[in-house]
Amino acid sequence: MEHRETLAKLVVAVLFAGTVVASAETRQEFRFKVHRRASVSVANQFGPIWVKPSSGEEVVVTAVLHSDKVEVDHTYSLNRVSITSHLLAGADAESGRVEYQVSVPADANVTLHSATGPLRAERLHGDVMLEGNTANVDVRDLIGGHVHIKTLNGPVTLTNVSDGHVEITSVGGDVALNSVNGPLVHVNSTSGRIVYDGDFGGGGEYSLMTHTGDIEATAPSYASIDVMASSTQGKVENDFLLQPTHTSLAAKAGNAFAGTMGKAASSVRLLSFSGKIHLKKR
Amino acid sequence: MTCEEFGRVLPELEGDHHNSEREEHLKTCSSCSGLVSDLNAISAEARLLVEDQEPSPRVWNSIAIALRQEGLIRDPEVPALLAGSRLRGWRLAWLRPVAIALVVGAALFLQLEHIPRGAPVARQAATSTPVLRTDGVGQDSAIDADEVQLLNLVSSRAPAMRAGYESDLRAVNAYIRDAETSVRNNPNDGIAQQYLMNAYEQRAMVYEMAMKRALP
Repeated sequence: MEHRETLAKLVVAVLFAGTVVASAETRQEFRFKVHRRASVSVANQFGPIWVKPSSGEEVVVTAVLHSDKVEVDHTYSLNRVSITSHLLAGADAESGRVEYQVSVPADANVTLHSATGPLRAERLHGDVMLEGNTANVDVRDLIGGHVHIKTLNGPVTLTNVSDGHVEITSVGGDVALNSVNGPLVHVNSTSGRIVYDGDFGGGGEYSLMTHTGDIEATAPSYASIDVMASSTQGKVENDFLLQPTHTSLAAKAGNAFAGTMGKAASSVRLLSFSGKIHLKKR
Repeated sequence: MTCEEFGRVLPELEGDHHNSEREEHLKTCSSCSGLVSDLNAISAEARLLVEDQEPSPRVWNSIAIALRQEGLIRDPEVPALLAGSRLRGWRLAWLRPVAIALVVGAALFLQLEHIPRGAPVARQAATSTPVLRTDGVGQDSAIDADEVQLLNLVSSRAPAMRAGYESDLRAVNAYIRDAETSVRNNPNDGIAQQYLMNAYEQRAMVYEMAMKRALP
């Protein structure tokens, strides 16, 4: 009997605690009618932002606020939607956390800011600009739009991105590019590692540059590239048999190589100041 | 209409001279009318600029002189070989750090104006921990007093982020140091020049993100 009473009290206490916790979280939803190539921006200091395409000409924002120390401000003007997490006095990384799920028309131009992230965008055709401090950035299945990413130390992963300009600047975050092709692919890193696995296709200009990080690029045997690789103080390896080309780069065994494959449709530069570079054959 | 209200509607003023309330305020307020005159002058000058024309070197020299007088920049150790570089890209490469230094200097000045009494004073904190940059090859790149101030501003609003920003600043300063050395040794090397531009772009990004954290 005593045991049952104790168990009942325990159940009530757990239910009550759960209610208290659940009631601290608030869910809000916003809907905005927009037209072609709308501009949508979300600034969220703490918490994830996920963006995916919607079925109609509407922007739908679902926000889960972790406490009453943060509120969601929004502005909506003609074809522009701006969402901002407004931290109130006393907010910290936990109480100021907001989780956003955003649906936008596929051709919308999207700008996301978050210190902690993660940031995720998928299946869009418009321009995408992502910025985060330590945010994990994940972009996939983007076709046609320009992609600009800035992070300090957050890792960046791009998968199946094509037909647009890709520009990534990261101080210490590792950058992974899987099936990324386009007219321009530029990665600028200080100490992060850069890994590319793709075709270097599209007759584009590919530049992967880092100060101290390593670069690993994997390409198929049928890749059509004019490649130059150099590491001032690190080692350079190449799995391909390249046709020699006239270049100002002084080919130095172990530190630099240059040459062409196929019709040299794309220009590829792999440059690291002191990291290792490896051009691998898939 | 007060000056604050006028400032809020200022962006809508262009081409609109029929609002009597605004016109009345401009007649009575020399500060707001002076601001409108300056904006109109800038707008008129901007229309005259040809898109692909570069501002004359005198403009950049003036900016650099002002920054030196403010103590925001020092003369770089550039040998005579690099002076008057023929490569136009260099002008553009140096524009960014100068522009960023201007923005940072203005923001720091505005922020210090708003620091309440009793709050830690950034300048005192900066001088109490001297970490002057050393540019010698092979030496670790520290952060200078201006960057310490910036980090103190970040600390005042987001203390947990200071260590990360400091680490990033040291890393990009080391990148700049190595890139400058490379350019000094190989002034005609396009790759060395690209490294330097990339390094400055990295530092500009760190400054920009730090300022966003530091400003209310």
